[in-house]
Amino acid sequence: MFIAIVPAYNEEKRIVTVIEKLEGHVDRIVVIDDSSFDNTVSLARNAGAIVLEHTVNRGQGAALETGHAYARSVGAEFVLHFDGDDQMDPHDIAPALAYMKEKKAQALIGSRRLDEHSTVPWFKRHILLPIGKMINHFFVRERLSDVHNGFRILHKSVLDSIVIEQDKMAHATEIPAKIIAKKIAFVEFPVTFTYHEYGQGTLSGFTIIKDLLFSKFISK
Amino acid sequence: MIIIFQILFASFVLYVFGSIAKKRKQGMLGVKGLLFWVLFWLGALTVVLWPEALSRLADVFGIGRGVDLAIYISMAVVFFLLFRLHIKIECVGRDITTLTREIALLKHNEK
Repeated sequence: MFIAIVPAYNEEKRIVTVIEKLEGHVDRIVVIDDSSFDNTVSLARNAGAIVLEHTVNRGQGAALETGHAYARSVGAEFVLHFDGDDQMDPHDIAPALAYMKEKKAQALIGSRRLDEHSTVPWFKRHILLPIGKMINHFFVRERLSDVHNGFRILHKSVLDSIVIEQDKMAHATEIPAKIIAKKIAFVEFPVTFTYHEYGQGTLSGFTIIKDLLFSKFISK
Repeated sequence: MIIIFQILFASFVLYVFGSIAKKRKQGMLGVKGLLFWVLFWLGALTVVLWPEALSRLADVFGIGRGVDLAIYISMAVVFFLLFRLHIKIECVGRDITTLTREIALLKHNEK
């Protein structure tokens, strides 16, 4: 079974489009609503998705791990991380999965930098992403072509060996770091992003660094 | 004037020791916490009762005035406590996440 995990927070404008676009590309669509105060839950449910509801807003990393817990409970073979803001292209899913299987990888991480299809804002492309890459390298210990790309496909063996502990956006550094630390075979794959909004800004970058540093002092 | 302040401060420290002992009895304070707070307040009491002791200690560290040393130590302690508080909040946040996840899965399974 191939499950799409879609974390969503106040995405009533786009969640139905995302679910409709995902249909046919995966076996099951699971929306993790992170305590939205708009109509995300009812719209997602009416559109045919399974909806898991966080009663308290805990962040995207926490929502993804809830999706993982669900995937483990139903014995999913693969999970796809797919944002609920309609910035990713579902047509990337099938070739990504095929490439992952061909390379016998257990994890696939999307990249906006392996081709030029993505419409990344200038400041983000030329300033924020290169700085982010340098900082990411410090925590991940391996050079990736992109940083904080939310498009990922993980085999169930990965779900069994890693748990996302970063509740907020630092999970996007934590996941590749754990994949690499556990010597899990992974590949990068070019995916297309179309930005409707700016996404993470400079301030959230500092929050991510703070979260990553503080987590070093939290006992498991 | 200084004597009045010393008496008031000593009384306050006695009250603090009382609440530390109470917290320890209730099991809300570990051995490390108990040692830290007892030593901290004993140090503060020493400095207030014998201000010249702080000046002598400042001399040892090559700091001009005793009050400067007190400010440096206070700032270090405050930053350390803020750090510990932040870690504690992070831990509580993770516990809330675990509960939120369990509730989400339970609610789904009930449907």
